[in-house]
Amino acid sequence: MSSDFKELQSRWASSKKNIELSAANFDNLYKKIKHKEKENYVFYYGTITTLLITLIVISLFFYYVAPVQETLSRIGAGLMIFGLVFRIFVEIISIYKAKQINNLDTTLKAAENSIKFHQFRKTIHQVIAPIIIGLYTVGFYMITPEFSLYMKFWNVVLIDISYVVIGIILFIIIRKGVKKEMQKLQDIMRLKNDITE
Amino acid sequence: MRKSKNEAFETMYRQHHSMVLQMCLGFVEGDKDTANDLSQEIFISVWNNLDKFRGASSYKTWIYRITVNTCLQYVKKDRKETPLSKSEIENQTTDKDEEKPKFDDIPKLYSAIGQLKKIDRLIIMMVLENQDYISISEVIGIKPINVRVKIHRIKKRLEKILKNNTDE
Repeated sequence: MSSDFKELQSRWASSKKNIELSAANFDNLYKKIKHKEKENYVFYYGTITTLLITLIVISLFFYYVAPVQETLSRIGAGLMIFGLVFRIFVEIISIYKAKQINNLDTTLKAAENSIKFHQFRKTIHQVIAPIIIGLYTVGFYMITPEFSLYMKFWNVVLIDISYVVIGIILFIIIRKGVKKEMQKLQDIMRLKNDITE
Repeated sequence: MRKSKNEAFETMYRQHHSMVLQMCLGFVEGDKDTANDLSQEIFISVWNNLDKFRGASSYKTWIYRITVNTCLQYVKKDRKETPLSKSEIENQTTDKDEEKPKFDDIPKLYSAIGQLKKIDRLIIMMVLENQDYISISEVIGIKPINVRVKIHRIKKRLEKILKNNTDE
């Protein structure tokens, strides 16, 4: 094999010479770099921005539009807001963990950091997200009695039913997310085994 | 500052582009479009990390780390990948009837490399690039002695694949 492998190496080297550096279009490459920077920004900060906007809108709603008076409703509104704040906090940790995956690290270290990140994402989808949705849901149904004082009965029923529909959609999205994270996790664990075996 | 970064990047690109592209080609079984996309991803990562280069390792080790990690992350994104069937591999290579020496066909080599495990593909390509055990261990993160054992196994596996492909 050693002589064969030397032959392979020489074939590899001569083939590399044939890979011409087509007049490198750096302008185009720099454009792609800019585009990628934007993409990364959305990847890291897209979710957190959406959550922050939702938090601001809900807080303003409870402060200016519908300042609930009853204790039960206030606790409900508090639970909804707390759920969102907690989710934002979790997202910040997630961004921190994602940034730990560094292309400059050794393959083994990058794989280990990827495993940590995806295990955390799995925990978010499997444990944290359902708890937050639960808090949000309990909070939502705690404020509906006071809302029903100012709204028509059927409007309240409609809001409650639409919330269930949203809940089902969220469940499907979360389930999909868990499956995706599990698959990624398995892939990286297999990779780590391949590195260390 | 920006100008000097551009200059450093462009120099690095010119020096290492063919090596990076060839490794990408080997990694994706000779698929040129995918290899070009992948090599672009690698150089985008090079650009993003250029300021972080501290000279603790050589530029080449540095580029290899980015190349290997980006290739592996690329696979993570792409779940649709399926190994090529034997007939597809044959179609990718040159004329079937043409009798050539064993390793006289680089597409066949890409196909053979593509049948190895992902990490093994990258390790064997670094060996083909004449990198020593220590350099490879600095990229992968395992001891040089383990790299040596690994390379021995991968070479055997590659030899078997090449032999099978030539026999068929």
